[in-house]
Amino acid sequence: MTMEDEESDSNSNSYNHSVRQFVKRANEYNDIANIAVIARRSFGNNAFDGILTMIGVTIGSFTSGVKDPHVVITTGLSTSIAIMISGAWGAYLTESAERKKDLKELGQITLTNLDGSRIGRASRFAAIAVSIVDGLAPFIGAIVVLIPFFLSGFFQNIRFVYYTSMGTALVALFILGIWLGNVAKENLVVYGFKTLLAGVISILIGSMLNGN
Amino acid sequence: MIGKIRRLVLDVLKPMEPNIIEMAKGLSLEEGVVAVNISIAEIDHKVENAKITIEGDNINYERVKAIINDMGGSIHSIDEVVAGKMIIDDAATLQD
Repeated sequence: MTMEDEESDSNSNSYNHSVRQFVKRANEYNDIANIAVIARRSFGNNAFDGILTMIGVTIGSFTSGVKDPHVVITTGLSTSIAIMISGAWGAYLTESAERKKDLKELGQITLTNLDGSRIGRASRFAAIAVSIVDGLAPFIGAIVVLIPFFLSGFFQNIRFVYYTSMGTALVALFILGIWLGNVAKENLVVYGFKTLLAGVISILIGSMLNGN
Repeated sequence: MIGKIRRLVLDVLKPMEPNIIEMAKGLSLEEGVVAVNISIAEIDHKVENAKITIEGDNINYERVKAIINDMGGSIHSIDEVVAGKMIIDDAATLQD
């Protein structure tokens, strides 16, 4: 084994060690701060928001006669980024405010300052983790609806791009519903249709609107 | 020669999480600690009162305190301490 090989081996070992440490710490913080449940709730709620927002953008572009897919992509991307920032920022501020309050209350009961404790670190980690999920979930949901516009070169007519986008949005909503049904351990198809219905209503109302 | 602490019994008020399993694991990993026993004396809203018994061949109280504090606990009192070459229990007296 050459020196370079040994060095790269030791780098990879230390990287694996860091990853394992991080996962262990994250699990520990999850046990303390109940992060997974809150993140799962945020994901469902915000992905739903992202898909419906993008349905609004595309149906609005469709009814107002936008023919250029780049216009929809630009509008869609800037909207996706805005809801990502809104989700992450808002979640971080509210989550950290709530957790600071809980930490202070707990500190008053135990008569200690918990800021530097494992609970304090878990609280800060939770606020960051939840805000990342809150930001990424609507962004991913929104981007999924935009995918057909990125592939618009394969379509003959922009109308089909819009239809495919709407179809993708409805499928994404249905899958999200199935996932929520799985979380609730309820009928998956019923949950799927519940989320799908919101998309159908948005499309119907959106298509009835006309700038003129 | 510095005296070695061999047993500590602490009255600790701690949050529910990290639970006593985590706390016992954390304390037992400490150098000089051989065994840890934690029992819950009382449960209140969000917190619990724990009796922590630690035995070892050289317990570092400052380290133990740091671990307990790191897990959000606060030591209310040191209820028993045994130091020296061996562990002895408190001697019975006529008043007992």
